[in-house]
Amino acid sequence: MKILKQYSIIVLFVTALVVTSCELDGGESLNGASTSSISDDLSRGELTQALSGVLSDMRVGLATHTDVQSIFGREYYYFTSSDPRFEGDVVVGNLDNNTFYTTTPWGARYATIKDINLILEGLANTTADFSAEEIAATKGVLNTLKAHELLMLSDNQNDNGIRVDVADPENLGGFLNRSAALTAISEILATAATDLAAGGTELPFNLTSGYDGFDTPSDFLKFNKGLHARVEMYRGNSAAVLTLLDDSFLELSTTSINNGIYHTFSLSGADLSNPLFIAPNQEANVRVAHSSFVADAESGDNRLNKVLLRTTPRQASGLVGAYDVAIYGSNTDDVPVMRNEELILLYAEANITTSPSTAVSAINIIRSAAGLLPYVGATTPEALTNEILKQRRYSLFGEAHRWVDMRRFGRLSELPNDRATDNVPSAVPVPANEN
Amino acid sequence: MKHNLIKRSVFLIFITMPFVLLAQSVVKGTIEDASYGGPVAGANVIIKGTTVGAISDFDGNYEITVDSFPATLIFSSLGYGTKEVQVTSAGTINVSLAEAATGLDEIVVSGLATSIKRTNLANAVATVSATELAGTTPPKTLDGALAGKFTGAIVSANSGAPGGGMSIKFRGVTSINGNSQPLYIIDGVYLDNSSISSGGLNAVSQASGGGNASSQDNATNRIADINPDDIQTIEILKGASAAAIYGSRGAAGVVIITTKKGKSGKTKVNFSQGFGFNEAIRLQGQRDWTAALAESQYGEGALYTAAEAAGTLRDYEKEIFGEKGLISNTSISASGGSDKTTFFTGFSRNDEDGIVKNTGYKKSSFRLNVDHRFTENVKLALNTNYITSNADRGFFNNDNTGTTLGVALTATRPWDFLLPDANGNYPDHPNNSSNPLQTRDLMKNNERVNRFIVGGSLDINVYRNENSSLKLVSKAGIDTYTLAATVIFPKELQFQRPDQGGLNGVSAVSTTTNKNANYSTFLVHDWNLENDLSFNTQLGATNEQFSRNTVRVVATDLIASETNVDQGANQTVTQDRLEQEDFGFFVQESINYQDKLIGTIGLRGDKSTNNGDVNKLFYYPKASLAVNLNNFDFWNEDSFLSRLKLRAAYGEAGTFAVFGSLYTIYASTLIDSNVGIAVPLTRGNPNILPERQKELELGFDLGLIENRLSLEFTMYKKNVDDLLLLANTQPSSGFSTKWENAGELENKGIEIALNASIVQNDDFDWNAGLNWWKNKSEMVRMDVPAYNTGGFGTSLGTFRIEEGKSVTQIVGNNVDGDLVQLGNAEPDFQMSLSNNLNYKDFSLSFLWHWKKGGDNVNLTKLLSDFGGTSADYDDFTVDPNGQIKNGDYRINNGIFAGNATPFVEDASYLRLREIGLYYSVPSSTLNQWFGEAISNVKIGFSGNNLINIFDYNSYDPEVSNFGGNGLSTGVEVTPFPSSKRYMFHLSAQF
Repeated sequence: MKILKQYSIIVLFVTALVVTSCELDGGESLNGASTSSISDDLSRGELTQALSGVLSDMRVGLATHTDVQSIFGREYYYFTSSDPRFEGDVVVGNLDNNTFYTTTPWGARYATIKDINLILEGLANTTADFSAEEIAATKGVLNTLKAHELLMLSDNQNDNGIRVDVADPENLGGFLNRSAALTAISEILATAATDLAAGGTELPFNLTSGYDGFDTPSDFLKFNKGLHARVEMYRGNSAAVLTLLDDSFLELSTTSINNGIYHTFSLSGADLSNPLFIAPNQEANVRVAHSSFVADAESGDNRLNKVLLRTTPRQASGLVGAYDVAIYGSNTDDVPVMRNEELILLYAEANITTSPSTAVSAINIIRSAAGLLPYVGATTPEALTNEILKQRRYSLFGEAHRWVDMRRFGRLSELPNDRATDNVPSAVPVPANEN
Repeated sequence: MKHNLIKRSVFLIFITMPFVLLAQSVVKGTIEDASYGGPVAGANVIIKGTTVGAISDFDGNYEITVDSFPATLIFSSLGYGTKEVQVTSAGTINVSLAEAATGLDEIVVSGLATSIKRTNLANAVATVSATELAGTTPPKTLDGALAGKFTGAIVSANSGAPGGGMSIKFRGVTSINGNSQPLYIIDGVYLDNSSISSGGLNAVSQASGGGNASSQDNATNRIADINPDDIQTIEILKGASAAAIYGSRGAAGVVIITTKKGKSGKTKVNFSQGFGFNEAIRLQGQRDWTAALAESQYGEGALYTAAEAAGTLRDYEKEIFGEKGLISNTSISASGGSDKTTFFTGFSRNDEDGIVKNTGYKKSSFRLNVDHRFTENVKLALNTNYITSNADRGFFNNDNTGTTLGVALTATRPWDFLLPDANGNYPDHPNNSSNPLQTRDLMKNNERVNRFIVGGSLDINVYRNENSSLKLVSKAGIDTYTLAATVIFPKELQFQRPDQGGLNGVSAVSTTTNKNANYSTFLVHDWNLENDLSFNTQLGATNEQFSRNTVRVVATDLIASETNVDQGANQTVTQDRLEQEDFGFFVQESINYQDKLIGTIGLRGDKSTNNGDVNKLFYYPKASLAVNLNNFDFWNEDSFLSRLKLRAAYGEAGTFAVFGSLYTIYASTLIDSNVGIAVPLTRGNPNILPERQKELELGFDLGLIENRLSLEFTMYKKNVDDLLLLANTQPSSGFSTKWENAGELENKGIEIALNASIVQNDDFDWNAGLNWWKNKSEMVRMDVPAYNTGGFGTSLGTFRIEEGKSVTQIVGNNVDGDLVQLGNAEPDFQMSLSNNLNYKDFSLSFLWHWKKGGDNVNLTKLLSDFGGTSADYDDFTVDPNGQIKNGDYRINNGIFAGNATPFVEDASYLRLREIGLYYSVPSSTLNQWFGEAISNVKIGFSGNNLINIFDYNSYDPEVSNFGGNGLSTGVEVTPFPSSKRYMFHLSAQF
């Protein structure tokens, strides 16, 4: 029963080592900044990065959003050999509340809104040397962008509703139907406008080249007003639309129809490429224009250059397309957020009852830009509405307007169904994971 | 030096003193291995009926003091049968031990530093010997070789791609979003078994672009690097009741691998060479094309007729999957050593081509195991392994761009002409965005690994006398590797050309450096009391450190035909790091009363930097009892029931939260050259806890007719609480998912193992083993709403975590559009039958494996329906009314009708996993030919998966588009088909 001393020393040594070495140092989030680093205290350097995050996230899910609406509006079909649901569920109108075409646009917009809410929280908690004007300008920009995202959501969900108050993930606000959502969005835009007006002369961050011409508080306010005009048009407040358009970037000219705000894309690094671009004459993945788009066009309409005759038609499951959608020429082309062409059309629409002749002259700007002769039809509200819907169809092709327009005029049943199984739904279901 | 000598002699005197004093009643001798004559170190010698015992030294020498003669000495050791020898007087008794035949008498590693006789074990611990592992036919990978060889596991291949990709689950799903793959430990070293995706694949396939975040490219899991030839035994602890001492790493089970050791004596050199080939298990075949069908489906009747006339109709499935891949396995090993130092060294080279051109797997492994004895009581073991492997895995599984070979094939018709011209220019695919032949020939998806695994252990006998001993064991291990993955899509590819919307070439380099380090120290105290009680006490501490860094660079728009990532217009760099440190301690006490009652209690405490509170200890207790009824006095020794053991074991173990789940981390993004930060999909949870598994295992072992027939029956119930769920959140919060401890699941199961020595003659013996096992899981509690996971939504069939339902249920919309359970991935039961027959110099072994039930989600067929190419398109077997063609039904009545029923399929199979027939050239013949120079010459044939019987309507029911972890196994989207292998072998000893 004798313990060998040298080993007992080793044992003691090892035991001591083990006991003393057992304190662990705290782990850390190695792979990125924690969200609390922005919301707890926003610094000047972080503001531009956080805002770039918002602008970048606004592009996420854009293809799904646009494709789903364009299929609903029978503007084009999207055939992809790897996901049949674009020619199935989406065309049939049998929508799953728990798959990508429902959840991706919803989740992506709310992620952007979260980006925005974290910055707004950070602005409230900031200890950096932001001036009151800078804070007002930033809030104005952020809330305008938030309103844009909420409007995209509400466009999809219609009376199924959206949540507007989502700042606290543990305590989300209730669902607002279409009209309540539009009211809330209108209020956000009005508050944002007040902030922008008090925002001084410079923004304390960089916007992208897609915002060229809108990169001061006062110029950004013109975008805010344009967007607000769209919301009021959806609410049927023509008088408000006209007032708002006055302060917007509306320009009644054929040459400036493409002025506006754009999403930008590039191929470098973590940037995104334009997800709506597909080269012509592909087989596996194609966006083909609905046959009625070409068939219903007036001859000579140069907006038919938004589609391109395929060498061979592409068919899928009983659907067929002879024309590729060719709105974008490369995978780095900008995608519009809002263009002057839409403002001109809003201007025309808002004037239908109060000043049909103003409406016609606005329509003629669009027609002239499209290479068409001036409008010669009747100037009854009904005739003008038809004409404006038609111009909107061709001017805003593939920009997620057609389905919303047909819905707000109660005309979804006029959209064509090519197969017996097909149907145009009036809203996207609320994702399954919302309780 | 001089000082040391004095110390040593003092030390020796202490050790030998008791023996000198009692020399007249000392029995001593050498314990040898019966098969080759080398010493058996560490063998136990016990005087029967007492607890007086001794342990052989490193040379196999033992000495034991016997109080009264005659006495019976019992000799036992790890891996060997037990032998009883009558001694009538003091003197020398040399004993040779044979390797355990039935496995009943072997020794099993039960603690972190201790072992126990199998007959005294309270758990059903499975053991796979070297012969069982690789003796019948060489396995493709180590983990793949475990299928069907023991109860309680689901071992499933994710795809047939060379280099493996396996999923192993013990006793059902143990974690839904945490780790559910077992812990692998090789000679004390914690192995890394990550699957690391290569950059660049998703840039092309955009598989994660849709609703699913997984890139679905099925990377190899890194256990594939381990060379099965080096392995002596594998032990499998299936759940917490056996693995509680592994604490927070043990919940998914532990696979303990012991490699071969050298034996002192003459140096022996073993050489073996295998040659063979593989081929696809099953191809889908072609639709019965005619000009009329080509016309009605595509309006291309004329093209069909023209191709038919020109003789260019082609079966592209055969063109791509029809290769026979050559296999060559070479292995040389040597073992030997002096009385102080022994070594085992092995070199092996495996080279296997895939069934698709330009795919294959090459691996070289070099091992050196050295054991050195400094003194009688101090031993150092060093195990080193260097592995370099090289896998070309092709481009398979799901995509959203029509570019993977599998998806491209679904759109390829026999009259499409895709062959290159004399200058290597490939035509564009007329019906798809990629030409699969061009993709196969020009793209590259390569993984290269350089890996070092080094483990050392130092054993010190601190103190030893007749009744007690104290041992200090220190272990350290490092597993470090560099994985360099190269993915190249040259600009010539159809889908890379800018006019096709391509990226003009993609080249990606992904480099991962990984280092696992683990350190542990144990004290083991054995104490045998006069009243026949013996105590084994162990306590120890462990520390594990994990460090991984993956940098992926994806370059697009490449210059000329350059592939360096700087030779492109655009580079995307991502980096992903992991740093984790765990600390644990444990104590365990085993009490053995005359081998009649064996009880164990233990406690493990663990903490980790992955937990919200890094220094909070989580405790995992265990307790077990084994009762050997046959050792009690009342037992009739002549009974036909030769052995009966009752056993019960309870244990708890955990699974730490996934690294990073504490934090909500911004993703980085870029827009217009401005770097941006964007909220991630997952919201972190700073209060996350480890999962806790509680397992109760009950069973009995019985032996009949002198143990020629043995039965092991086990039932278990294991509950996993505080389940780590990547639960869906309301996406309007800005996040899709959030880490939560939010539920409890339960697995219950039965495992039966029957082993029989059916014939035992001089010329002929026949051993058979029958295993039967089943598991049933249930989500017993959920604190968050039910959610779908691991699939493509309810219109195609998806897994769904739902309270009160099976964890592995597959749900989907039925024909009426209602969300119902359409299947369950869990098999009804599994069964395997192994047979080993030896007649004179011939031996035949084979292993059948039957999986009954268990469903898959098969989307390969649906994709080929959309391409109009399904072989069974025109059959009428899917429509319940038999009215509508399969292809039309799956499209119009399936997906378009929101009906997922046609996609959930029974994935039962019966397969001849392994078969081997060998002839050992008799030593007399060898002596005639070569003299003493060559011995043990063996030649033979073997095969793997030679017979496969299944109804499943695709290549193989063993498949997983999403890889191995969690719940998503069994979802199939155009995989790399699995293969069968035919081999010829030659081996010899020099």
